Amino acid sequence: MNIVLIILKWLFHILVFPGFLFTLCAALLLAGIDRKLVARMQNRVGPPLLQPAYDLLKLFGKEIIIPRQANKKAFLSAPAVGLASLLVTSLLLPFSASFVAVSGVADVIVVLYLLTIPAVAIIVGAASSASPFAGVGLSREMVAVMAYELPLTIVLVTVCRKAGLMMDESGMTFSLATVMQYQAEHGAMITKLSMIPAALAMLFIIPCEVGAHPFDIAEAETEICEGTLAEYSGLPLAFYELAHYVKMFILTSLFCVLFLGGFTTGVVVVDLILRLIFCVVVTFLCITVPHAVCARFKVEQVFKFYWTWVLGLALVSLLLVWLGL
Amino acid sequence: MMQHFPILSIMVLFFGAFLNGIFGGKNAKARKIIVLASIFLSFLMVVAMTGPVMLEGQIISYWLGNWEPAMGFAFGIGLEVDAVGLFFGLIISTAVLVSGLYSFEYMSHDDALGYYYTLYLMLGGGVLGLVFSGCLFNIFVMVEIMTFSAVALTAFRNEKYGALEAAFKYLVVGSIGSTSVLVGTILLYNQTHTLNLAQIASILPSVSNGVTAVAFGFLFVGFATKAFLFPFQPLAADAHAVAPSSISVLISGVLTKTGVYGIIRLVYVLYQSMNLGPVKTLVVFIGTLSMFICVTMALAQHDFKRLLAFHSISQVGYVITAVGLSTALGVAGGLYHAMNHTLFKSLLFLTAGAVLHQTDTTNLDELGGLSKRMPKTTVLFLIGAASISGLPPFNGFASKWMIYQATFEAAAAQNNFGFALVGIIEMLTSVLTLASFIKVTQSVFFGQMPKKWENVKEVGNGMIIPMGILAALCVITGVAPSAVEKYLLAPATSAVYSVGKYINAMMGEGFAEGVSLSSETVAVDLGRSGYWNPLAWLALLGILLFGAFVAFVLLRKEAKTKESEAAEMFGSVDEKFEPFFSGERAEFSQVGGSDMFWGFKKVMRPYLDFMHDAHSGVVNDYVRWAVECLALVLLYCVLCGL
Amino acid sequence: MMAMNYLGSFLLIILGLYMMVSKRNLIKIIIGLDLVDYGANLLIVSIGFRDGGTAPIFTLSELFSGAYFVDPVPQALTLTSIVIGACVTAMSLALIIKIKDQYGTIDSHKVRRLNG
Repeated sequence: MNIVLIILKWLFHILVFPGFLFTLCAALLLAGIDRKLVARMQNRVGPPLLQPAYDLLKLFGKEIIIPRQANKKAFLSAPAVGLASLLVTSLLLPFSASFVAVSGVADVIVVLYLLTIPAVAIIVGAASSASPFAGVGLSREMVAVMAYELPLTIVLVTVCRKAGLMMDESGMTFSLATVMQYQAEHGAMITKLSMIPAALAMLFIIPCEVGAHPFDIAEAETEICEGTLAEYSGLPLAFYELAHYVKMFILTSLFCVLFLGGFTTGVVVVDLILRLIFCVVVTFLCITVPHAVCARFKVEQVFKFYWTWVLGLALVSLLLVWLGL
Repeated sequence: MMQHFPILSIMVLFFGAFLNGIFGGKNAKARKIIVLASIFLSFLMVVAMTGPVMLEGQIISYWLGNWEPAMGFAFGIGLEVDAVGLFFGLIISTAVLVSGLYSFEYMSHDDALGYYYTLYLMLGGGVLGLVFSGCLFNIFVMVEIMTFSAVALTAFRNEKYGALEAAFKYLVVGSIGSTSVLVGTILLYNQTHTLNLAQIASILPSVSNGVTAVAFGFLFVGFATKAFLFPFQPLAADAHAVAPSSISVLISGVLTKTGVYGIIRLVYVLYQSMNLGPVKTLVVFIGTLSMFICVTMALAQHDFKRLLAFHSISQVGYVITAVGLSTALGVAGGLYHAMNHTLFKSLLFLTAGAVLHQTDTTNLDELGGLSKRMPKTTVLFLIGAASISGLPPFNGFASKWMIYQATFEAAAAQNNFGFALVGIIEMLTSVLTLASFIKVTQSVFFGQMPKKWENVKEVGNGMIIPMGILAALCVITGVAPSAVEKYLLAPATSAVYSVGKYINAMMGEGFAEGVSLSSETVAVDLGRSGYWNPLAWLALLGILLFGAFVAFVLLRKEAKTKESEAAEMFGSVDEKFEPFFSGERAEFSQVGGSDMFWGFKKVMRPYLDFMHDAHSGVVNDYVRWAVECLALVLLYCVLCGL
Repeated sequence: MMAMNYLGSFLLIILGLYMMVSKRNLIKIIIGLDLVDYGANLLIVSIGFRDGGTAPIFTLSELFSGAYFVDPVPQALTLTSIVIGACVTAMSLALIIKIKDQYGTIDSHKVRRLNG
């Protein structure tokens, strides 16, 4: 009886909420809102809200072309692995201090590493397609990963230290649930003066990690013909698109967990709606606005930008937190 | 019987070397039997010792010629196997076993194999002797034996580009390391009048003066040189890269571990000095330096094995950093990573060897697209690459996770901002490691295949099976960290701290109490380490992957039929299955190793150029590095007055 | 008296290291390596030395209480160390011969195919 219940609970978490079904729906919704907003900012009418879903449905029905020189297994399984790891990540993000599907002593590090797997999956898929455009694309993708990973690490450490100082006797916590708990008791991270640079840095990191417009050096359709995705078509391409949307949702969601965690009511449904609203706001700030305003950066500009300005912001925050401010 | 196993497991290898020298020169069959028998016997004896040592917490001590200590003084030469020694012994004998199995097919193109296996067995025996030895001078002798055989094996394929040169550099700089160990040993003898590790450990805390500080410096530099840590031995990459791959496995997976073992013994057992700030700073600083600088060096390499070589220094840097934190979690994480490093780095060197065996080159700019010709090797390589880059659920992730946690907790507990930066550098290093393996993946196994590799074949089972064993171990130690912790790490970590018990096992009951050391087994608490529940996650990943797999199997069939239909309809070639080339006719165009990471390289150019020039390849410069570092460390030790 | 020995041994080590750093001829580098070894050996013997002690050669019946002899352990160590040093020299000279064959020179600044 007990075992069955646990398994059912697991399955529910994995398949429905907050795993598969919920994440997919939220991600598609978020992507639709993003496109609509960009269009409005550029004085266009824009596609309907569900356009991303229609696009995917269409892609599902398209023919799959596997290049003759490609390694078929790697080419086809890479998108699935990327999406799977993102869905695992979605289980780790708490919705409030009390509700989290999977919790561990140190899940921050797990989240950090799981978030690199989609990038690795894209890279391996691109490499296996044997296309020169994909080769250039994957090299750029890796440069982008190197660029944002350093500030991202520092931001996460800063948050962990800030929450750990109050919540853990060792002065450091690695549990997202504890971070939420801290914010529930002491107010959201964003309200702390020392955390504002870190939050700003995180806002810069999200578009690069998602591969959104000004930082989409790896896909750069005008230069290298979609780069990493050059050879993909049909269902695998749909998987990548889906992974892209899900990543957007998960990263904005992570931002909410790290910096906007205090505003919870305890009722799951209300929390959920609140979380979605926050996600839309964050998406608007860090993905939609740069998309509508900026032109694409050059590869070395991206790298330099993250290792100087964003790194600086994150380090300032870490230093302030370490000094106990 | 059990107390004879330490000496027997070493002697079997040396005796095998001797027999092989006599009978194995021409007779391939006799050679095979001798080698297999000795490595298997030695391996089995080491494994047999895990029962009492790891599970029951005993310490096996053995006095050669039964010269037991009298009047509280150790006369004879002793062997002592505690959980740390056995932990490293297990790593070593596994690597030796796998490397031996692999050699039979891998070395089949070479001649003079009698010498090869003699040296190989001596190397194994020397390394195993080092970690089981209870006598400081014997450690020096074993260091010399292993360095000697490693140098000879590095030069084994002396017709190859640069092999002799690498061996010569290794010999010269390695000798400086060995001489430092010798000088350190003799200075300690001057102060304590004994060479037995246990007795020195019991005397040293009460004798602390300038001489012991200098001795510490010499010993530390000696072992750091043996671990190929960055500032002491910049030529490590040369030696790894030109040696036969089965020997690179031993140099990278085993020889470096003896250095790590030496440092652990030195700082935790002999000097018991890990509570001192300056020692911690020294060890962590050296570790971080090797970790970061060597990973950036690796990113700039154009040779598969040379790249792997720089990575092994970088990964040993992780181990040393974690050990230097001096928390139970740090030591456990460091040991775990030491074990994992041996597993995945051996695997990677063996895959590099497979590529070398089949194509006769390891140049990243010449290779490409081998995954279609060598599918099994590719899968094994990807497992190794994912492990070393720390992707879940492989073993590199589990140990790096522990190390990060240990670093940040140490930083928080001591309010040490420097340690926090070290933790950030650790995470950055991990990303850079990933990047350089992406480079190898793209330029060796994926991407387009140059015409000349059309006829390359997969290697035989003699090479696939050893690699498969290592890959399986990589996965097992990755998904079951709690079992590894319970049976290997917790006893070993506890042994690192139980100095009194170590002394008593050697010198007789009550000896440690005589010098006011507790002989209790120190319990270590690893409870806070962040173990996930891997089974639940694996189930989840499994569900998702299975779904995806089913979908793709169906789709692949469909895609295949479509291609064959298309081939029938349009004649032999349908353009849509060629790589997309902007509407032009597709031509050969591989994005090779040197073409990757342009943005990164452009921004980091001044730094990369500087590091390239610093690794000048001139033996005088490398000696200068070693001497300068030795001088600095000695100065540091004296000034801090250890 | 013993201070001179210690000083001498460290001087030998330092001179040897200096030679290894500054000389470009591979054979001279090996001579430097040997000097370092000899310095270490001299240090070992000096540490075992006792002023006025006899040679440490006794059978059990000859051994009397109050016997005054030099410490035998360092002498044993020195022997081992000398043997190892000789092996290192032999091996490195063999390598130099092969290097001369392959590279046509024994100038260390020209024997640098592996770098960077």
